[in-house]
Formats: sequence, C-alpha cells, structure tokens
Amino acid sequence: MFDNITLGQYYPAQSVVHALDPRMKICLLVLSIVAIFLAGNLLAFVPVMAFLALACKMSRVPVKLLIRGLKPLRFILVFTFLLNLFFLQGETPLLNLGFAVIKKEALILSVHYALRLVLLVLFSSLLTLTTAPVTLTDGLERLLSPLRVIHFPAHEMAMMMTIALRFIPTLLEEADKIMKAQTARGADFESGNLIKRAKAMVPLLVPLFVSAFRRAGDLAMAMEARCYHGGEGRTRLRVLKMAKNDYLALGAMGLLIACVVLLSRVY
Amino acid sequence: MQITLENVTHTYQPGSPFQATAIRNVNMTVNPGEFLALIGHTGSGKSTLAQHLNGLLKPTEGRVLLDGQDIHEKGCDKKEVRRKVGLVFQYPEHQLFEETVAKDVAFGPKNLGLSAGETDARVREALEKVGLNYDDMAERSPFELSGGQMRRVAIAGVLAMRPECLVLDEPAAGLDPQSREEMLQLISGLHEAGSTVVMISHSMDDVARFATRAVVMEKGEAVMAGAPEEIFRHADRLVAMGLDVPKVCQLGLRLREEGLPFPEGVFREEDAAAALLSLWKEGKGHV
Amino acid sequence: MPDLIFDVQNVSFAYEEGGPLAVRSLSLQVPKGAFYAVLGQNGSGKSTLAKLMNGLYLPTEGSVSVCGMDTKDEKHTWDIRCRAGMVFQNPDNQLVATIVREDVAFGLENIGVPTEEMPGRIEQALRDVGMTEYAERAPHLLSGGQKQRVAIAGVLAMRPEAILFDESTAMLDPQGRREVLSAVKRLNRELGLTVIWITHFMEEAVDCDKVFVMHSGEIALSGTPREVFAREEALRALRLDVPPMAHLAQTLREAGMPVQDVLTVEDMVREAKRLCR
Repeated sequence: MFDNITLGQYYPAQSVVHALDPRMKICLLVLSIVAIFLAGNLLAFVPVMAFLALACKMSRVPVKLLIRGLKPLRFILVFTFLLNLFFLQGETPLLNLGFAVIKKEALILSVHYALRLVLLVLFSSLLTLTTAPVTLTDGLERLLSPLRVIHFPAHEMAMMMTIALRFIPTLLEEADKIMKAQTARGADFESGNLIKRAKAMVPLLVPLFVSAFRRAGDLAMAMEARCYHGGEGRTRLRVLKMAKNDYLALGAMGLLIACVVLLSRVY
Repeated sequence: MQITLENVTHTYQPGSPFQATAIRNVNMTVNPGEFLALIGHTGSGKSTLAQHLNGLLKPTEGRVLLDGQDIHEKGCDKKEVRRKVGLVFQYPEHQLFEETVAKDVAFGPKNLGLSAGETDARVREALEKVGLNYDDMAERSPFELSGGQMRRVAIAGVLAMRPECLVLDEPAAGLDPQSREEMLQLISGLHEAGSTVVMISHSMDDVARFATRAVVMEKGEAVMAGAPEEIFRHADRLVAMGLDVPKVCQLGLRLREEGLPFPEGVFREEDAAAALLSLWKEGKGHV
Repeated sequence: MPDLIFDVQNVSFAYEEGGPLAVRSLSLQVPKGAFYAVLGQNGSGKSTLAKLMNGLYLPTEGSVSVCGMDTKDEKHTWDIRCRAGMVFQNPDNQLVATIVREDVAFGLENIGVPTEEMPGRIEQALRDVGMTEYAERAPHLLSGGQKQRVAIAGVLAMRPEAILFDESTAMLDPQGRREVLSAVKRLNRELGLTVIWITHFMEEAVDCDKVFVMHSGEIALSGTPREVFAREEALRALRLDVPPMAHLAQTLREAGMPVQDVLTVEDMVREAKRLCR
C-alpha cells in the first residue's frame, strides 16, 4: 500500500518559508552554497549555521526531519572525515596512534570539510522540505526559461518532471502488486546472493517496464487529444510573483554572505 | 483442503499517520470443493482478504489456518502454502514477463524446483486447462497475444503449480462480453473438475450463475454469508449497501412492489422465466 | 437538417500502409446534442473510429469533418480537438498533473486561455461533474470513477461541442460505471453536449438515442436501442450480449408469452402487469 507516499520529503505547513517564491528559494539555495564555500575558517560557519537554524525555525519544519536528510550520507561523511584526518598534511602533532599521527591542521580541515558537506545537504533539504515538488518544478522552469534562446528545453524538462511526479506513486503501487503476484507463483525476492537476487528482479522489472511504456503511450495520446503541443503559446494557471518577503530573504542572504566574507578575512 | 480465517484483522502501516484498517475481525471458512464468491465495493477489503488466503499478507491480529495449521507459525512452509492456494490477481496479464508463453507458465513450477520434464508436463497440462493449444502457443511471445489470451496464459501460470484452491480477483474485469463469458466458463469448468474456487466479483449476475456460496464484505467486515439463494433473498440489504443485485432480483423486488405474487429468492433467469410463465398461465386461467 | 457535429464520409483506415483495414468505408452523421452509442467486441474498430473523429488518426480514404472542419486540414487540428474532446479507457493514464485542479487546467494552458479566465472555467467544469470538493486532491488517491470524472472536467473546461468516450467505463467497478454514466447523461441533457459513447457493456447503451454495432470495421447493425436489441440472433452472431431483460423476454416469447418491447427491468414490470393480471 503506497497510497499515502509523499514524494521527496515535502513537509506541508503554513510558514513564511513555505510561502516564498520557489524561484527565490532556488536562488537562495545557490547563494547559500556560495556562502558555504566562501567560509574560510570554522568561525565563518557560525553565521551560516545561525542562518540555517533561523530559517528552520521559521519554516516550522521539525529539526529531526531536517537532520534525517543526513542519514543516507552518514557513511560517506565518516569515511571522508577519517580519510582527511589521516592523510591531510600538517605540522603540529596532536595524537600518536602508533600506526599514524593525527595533526592539528588536519583535524581542523577535516572538520571544515565535513561541516561544509553537512551544511550543503541541510540547506538543500530545507528547500525540498518547504517546497512542494510541483512548485519546485514550476520555479525551475521559469528560472531556466531564458535559456530557451540557446535551445535549452526548459519547458520539456519541467513537463517531464511533473509527469514523473504524477506517475511515481502509480508505478510504485504497480510494482508492489507485481511483486506480490510473482511471490504467489513462488518467486523469492529476499534470499540468495547478490547475483541471484538481481536475477530474481527480472520478473518484476520486465512487467513494470512494459506497463510504464504502455502508460507512456496512452498518456501521449491523451495529451495530444487535449491539445498539448509543446511550450509554445502556452499560458499557465499559476503565475509566480515575488513579494516583499522574497526580497527580505534575499537581503538577509546578502548580509550572511557579507558576514562570512568578513569573518574569513579577520581570522 | 480447508482454509479458515479466525478473527483476522489487517492494518496497513500500523503506528504511522497513514494507518488504515482494511479488514476487521473476519471469520470465514473456504470449504473444499466449493465455489465461493467474495462480494463488496472497491475498498471493502476483498482484495486484502484474498491476499491472506495464501499468506501474502500476515494478519495484524487473528490466525489463518490451512487444514488446521496456522500458516504463519514457525515451521510452516510458506512456499507450500502458496502452491496449494493459487492466487490470480486483477489484470494478471500485467505480470507476464518471459519471452515465450511456455517459459512464462513454467515460472511457477521452476520455483517449486521441479525437473525439466515435470515442468514441461505441467506447462502442457496448464495450457490445456485454460483452453489454449500447447503447440500453437508455447513458442509465441505472450506480448503479442490478444487480451483474453494473455489473461489465460497468466492463469495457466498459476494453474501450473497445481493449486488445490484457486483464488481469483475479478478474473473477467475489462474483457469484452465474449471473452468474459469464455473466462467464466473456464473457471466454472475448473470448479467442476474438482478445484476449490474463490472468486472476487463485482458482477452479481456472475455470482448468481456460478457461486455455491457467497460472502459479502462491507467496510472491512464480513457482513453476510450463505448460499446465493439466501444472499439474494436479502436483495434489499444489498441495494442499501450500494451493491448491485442480479437483474432478475431487481425484477422480483419491483414485481412484488407492484403487488404481483412473484416468489422470493429467485435469482436465476430460467427460474424467473418459469415463475413469470406460471403467473401468466394462472392469469389466463382466471379470464 | 440539424447542425452536424460529426460527418464521417466513406472512411477507411489502415494502421500501416497496405495493411488490413481497421475501419472500412464507414459513414456516420452525428447531429448536435445527440447521444450515440457505438458497440462492438474488442478489435471491431470502435476505438479506431473514435480516434478518427477528433483527428488523432487521419482517414486513409474518405473524410471526417468536425463542425464543418476537415480533420485532414492541419490548421484546424487544435480547433477540432477543442470542439471534440476525448476521454479514454484507463483512468490512470490520462491525468497529467499531481493536483486535480491543475489537471483540469492542462487543456486550458495548452490552448492559451488567459490566466485570469482559468479559475472560473475550472470551478465550473468540476461542478458540472460533481468533483468540486476534490479540487485540491492528488489524482492517484481518487477512485476510478472519480478519476474519470476529473478527466471529463478537463475536457469540459475547454468548452467542447462533443465528447468521445472511448470505453471510459471498461476498467471501472459497477459503482464507478454508474457514477460516470450518470454524469455524462446529465451533461448531455442539461448542457446539450453531444456524446459518442463507445463501450462493450450493452446495458449502457439502453438509454441512448441511437446504437451502432460495429463488426470488423463496419457498422453491422444500427437503430434505436429497442430496434437493435430486439435482434438477439444477429447480436449473438456478432459475439455480443443482449441485456438480461431482453434475453428473458426472448425466453418468454419462445414459451408463448407475448411480451413486447422489453429492454429494462421497468419494461418487464410493465409487461408482467399487462399480461399477468
């Protein structure tokens, strides 16, 4: 039963952050990445973290949910942290483990890199948590539409994303059903080694692809019958409009970048 | 072989905000050799119930017994349960995946670990049971067949495991009248040949024609059970649930409303014809 | 002669050049406001006919015109599809957006309706099919019947003259079927919408103005439902069913009881009252 699956991790709530224009939110994400990379020392991360904390508070997204975005990355995080810790160069020995010596400079840099990655993920999570996928797609389409001049298919890309969002729950439900049906015929998706398991997926994947293609054909026909003929001459039900809050948020981001630059210089 | 459900409740995603109880406290038995119809609205829990019969779903509460043995107890071979109780999902042709019909039908027997020779024999037997000619069909791609043929192949895929009980979810859905009729005859033939059949159906006319017993589901509970005669005697209750009743039952209800002495519990066309003819002859007698 | 919405003249159609004909020299005129049913088994060409009638397919021979516009004329393509909308079989495969009201807007966006005008047309269309309260829902959480009604709303919002229903109830349960059919009947009655109802459920054709039975690309039988369903043997030969009451009536007639003109339960009640009192 995948009935209630929410795609991505959108957390529906009424908040100023949710209400921001998606175009602005995407720009803010890009700018926050700039800020993170401009941070030249650990001290410069403090305002970035403060900004994130404030944004999270204003968005009413539970902190736990935000942190959960890091879970899939925990191995990479630990791995790169350890790798950096042992292999980065430095002068001041801090701790001798016998097989390796940990240097102070290496420790600081490792923490720096790890923090950078964590913040990058948290800022992107905040965007997807506070912006419905459709809205996000809308924002992306508008932002990228000037690129049409160089034949970048902004509209087509957005349409593809919308359709994907619409059909993922349907296909998940279908996958569940096919899996059950094959299980009823004695298929085993759970045991055996990797190769055996990969092979066991064939009876699931073939029907799923066949069905996806059938759906795609049907949908193309239905879209054509409803006069779809690309992005040209198309109007939109929803028009995005920047409001006061959007500019305020942009101002706050500018301030943040200034702080980061300043703190990076001072140290 | 007998399947018994004891106080079975099933809740999807328990403990999550999306928690939903699909069936509640269901007690029922599938007796050997019967043709049992499961009736109810979409969302009444019929499909969830069907998936308990072969252990695909585990009850949140209650037990499912196969010949007295709890199928979710340790030491009970799930694969054997699924072999004995064959489950055919809705639109089963959407699960075909092999290059040839023969290979697809062989999927089940192969999973049982049968020898190549035995598997081949099973495939022949199963295709024959669904009325398809092995020599014509075996090497064809299942994807180039007609809708009705594809569905037969899919059903053969389950029959090849030689189930003692066959559970079918809406086997005639989406077929045109001719293929529909052929499909129902086929299932009825399997029943006559000794299979226990459980059929989920929306069509009361089909239930009236074929079932030996019916269970009516409403909002996750089994609210009525009995022979079609008994179920359709309460045609008004079915109507109140928003379910269809066979056209003949509707006719009976309407005729009695109009004050004609049309007997209750008539749900087959031939019985209705006989009843009307005798009313007509009586009427003529008075004139 | 009343306004013709569809004028199909001697149309033949093959999917591949030189391939077998899915529709052969077929002619059909549909006046404004009509409710016509097209019956036939799978592969009889009924779906192909529907797709010829809004220019999704172009005739190999003959011509199709919609409100006086030839479907072969490319400059009318979008105009024709606005006038003659279509609702397909699989409710899952024709909704595009992730929210009901945005899906209804899809067609409007395609034909460039100004943004200010859209909300009104969407509300109206959803109201016409009784789906107003579902405007903000995700389509995949709706029942089959509800999804089909959303699809109808999506077409209605474009203000069509006619809607072609290509087996739109084939995948629905009885409740969903009733829901959709009654919505369509109301649209035909109240808004004067022209309806082409393609189906293999005989009972759905009982109330319509005219029935066309297709067989291997041709119209094998046509007439009012009563005329067509009276020809039980011809229907059986075309591998189609007869509505149950018509069949019962036939059995009774064979046994000597002179029932006449029976299609529905009410007809049978009328005849029983007439003959058994």
